[in-house]
Amino acid sequence: MRADKKTKALAKQLFKLSVVNGAVSPEQVAGVLAYVEKVAPRNSLALLKLYQHAIVAELAKSHARVEHAGPLGANTLQLIAAAMTKKYSRPVTATAQANPKLLAGLRVRIGSDVYESTVSGQLATLSNAV
Amino acid sequence: MSTVVEQIEQQIAKLSSKVVKKNTGTIRAVADGVAKLDGLSDVMYNEMVQFPGGAIGIALNLEADEVGCVVLGDVSTLKEGDEVQTTGKLLSVPVGKALLGRVVDALGRPVDGKGPIDSKEFYPVEKIAPGIMVRKSVNQPLFTGIMAIDSMIPIGRGQRELIIGDRGTGKTTICIDTIINQARINKVGLASGDKNFRPVYSIYVAVGQKQSNVVRTINALEAAGALEYTVLVAAPAADNPANQYLAPFSGAAIGEWFMENGMDALIVYDDLSKHAVAYRQISLILKRPSGREAYPGDVFYLHSRLLERAARLDGKGSLTALPVIETQAGDVSAYIPTNVISITDGQIFLETDLFNQGIRPAVSVGLSVSRVGSSAQIKVTKQVGGKLKGELAQFRELAAFAQFGSDLDPKTKAQLDRGARIVELFKQPQLNPLSIEMQASVLWALQKTYFDSIEVKSIVTAANSWKDYLTSRKDALLTKIRTEAKLTDEIEAGLKAAADEWKGTFSK
Repeated sequence: MRADKKTKALAKQLFKLSVVNGAVSPEQVAGVLAYVEKVAPRNSLALLKLYQHAIVAELAKSHARVEHAGPLGANTLQLIAAAMTKKYSRPVTATAQANPKLLAGLRVRIGSDVYESTVSGQLATLSNAV
Repeated sequence: MSTVVEQIEQQIAKLSSKVVKKNTGTIRAVADGVAKLDGLSDVMYNEMVQFPGGAIGIALNLEADEVGCVVLGDVSTLKEGDEVQTTGKLLSVPVGKALLGRVVDALGRPVDGKGPIDSKEFYPVEKIAPGIMVRKSVNQPLFTGIMAIDSMIPIGRGQRELIIGDRGTGKTTICIDTIINQARINKVGLASGDKNFRPVYSIYVAVGQKQSNVVRTINALEAAGALEYTVLVAAPAADNPANQYLAPFSGAAIGEWFMENGMDALIVYDDLSKHAVAYRQISLILKRPSGREAYPGDVFYLHSRLLERAARLDGKGSLTALPVIETQAGDVSAYIPTNVISITDGQIFLETDLFNQGIRPAVSVGLSVSRVGSSAQIKVTKQVGGKLKGELAQFRELAAFAQFGSDLDPKTKAQLDRGARIVELFKQPQLNPLSIEMQASVLWALQKTYFDSIEVKSIVTAANSWKDYLTSRKDALLTKIRTEAKLTDEIEAGLKAAADEWKGTFSK
């Protein structure tokens, strides 16, 4: 079902209510969900999908996913989280995820930004340049 | 020794661990050559984005939660969830003299099978038009080689002259003739060794045309030896609308290189009606609000920002634009025609009725105008053709009245006779532009009543005979008219002697 203008506007409003001090508040999200369940507005499904999309995008901005090939110490992960917190001026958490396809190095994804320092990335750049 | 090696190793380590920042997004939906993307928070308007598989897109819609992007290339391999990344670059095309004689697509990639183009420079496809202070007024002529246009609706270097008419009235022919004429002038000028000679390079942008028509144009230019001075940008009807939308802007970028580097260029947009249709298609798919005739609200800006890039720059070169518009049943008051008429510095209106009567080029003198006027004419044309437009307009008016009455006074009859002769003289076969000195000689003969004693039906034969006579016997006189660019007493005496001699031979 396509969302109409009113549904889009309501989803935007609910999303704004869920963000407190630049971070998604779990209590506010719970409150929004309770409201939607109680009131059951028109196009609830489309509304919740839009709301979810916005919340996921916002959460991704505060979470750094660190893909790595080879060992990655807890200390390095903490350093990455601290660096990202400083760079984006908001609290950023970091989680590690092994990815042998990278061959060597790290790839940090936060929101729509990707910081890459991997052998596979360099090989891809080289192959594009040839 | 080991310290030196360590230093080098450290340097290598620094380089190899360089972090690359990319801004990425994912495809949410792809349809009809347009992709809706999530992410890409840093994308700029009109920025190129890279799709997997090498396809390129342009970000055209920047919305709060998604980016609308037209895909230039094969969309069949793209699917939902694919990663897309920004490039930080605006769409650019290769420019320079290496493109002359080549056929390229909307992205400047060769499509003529003649190998890669060795171009070192790139210009952005979208660029702000030159401002007021850097411009210079248009006062240098650009000869089309079509007598009716050069004598009555002169075009100057840096002007924007619209060519408008119904389907099949000879709009493209006028453009091709003009390109061929530039090539002929270039050849003569470059061979003369004149240091002040400025060649005109041509760019022909084919938008939404049949591939067969594009091939016919290429062949016509090649046969006339004009391809070597021409760049063809082809976005045929089979191309996706994004390429058709971009092609005129790519052509403008190629033309701007000539202008910025002190050269003169001519660009033909054939045609902007189809360009507007392609833009409408993209806009509707991007869900932009539609307005009159379902065109988006910024369709005027689309054409104005394109045509404003044609200019004559102070201390540099010029870019002359000949946009083409196809009308429906001669309706010049439709949306796109009125838009482009108001943007350009004049229009050449081609009438279906005239075309069907055999008057070709079918230029309607009443509806055609060049707002640059006689400032873009050389003196010789002003001397021999200054009153022609008025005489022809008078003839059309009288001819309409003459249909009702049978008895005409001698003055009216003389005006009608003269008008009929002018109309006959202006008939010109396609792909056969006339040099300005030849045009001047023919119009001089008309002015001096050499054609008055000849039957109207024989005027074309007589004019051809006069041209042949001048080419074969009076080449020096023609060269003198070209170099002096005005009718001196000496030239007039030469023309008179030649015309008297020719008249004797033709009468026989």
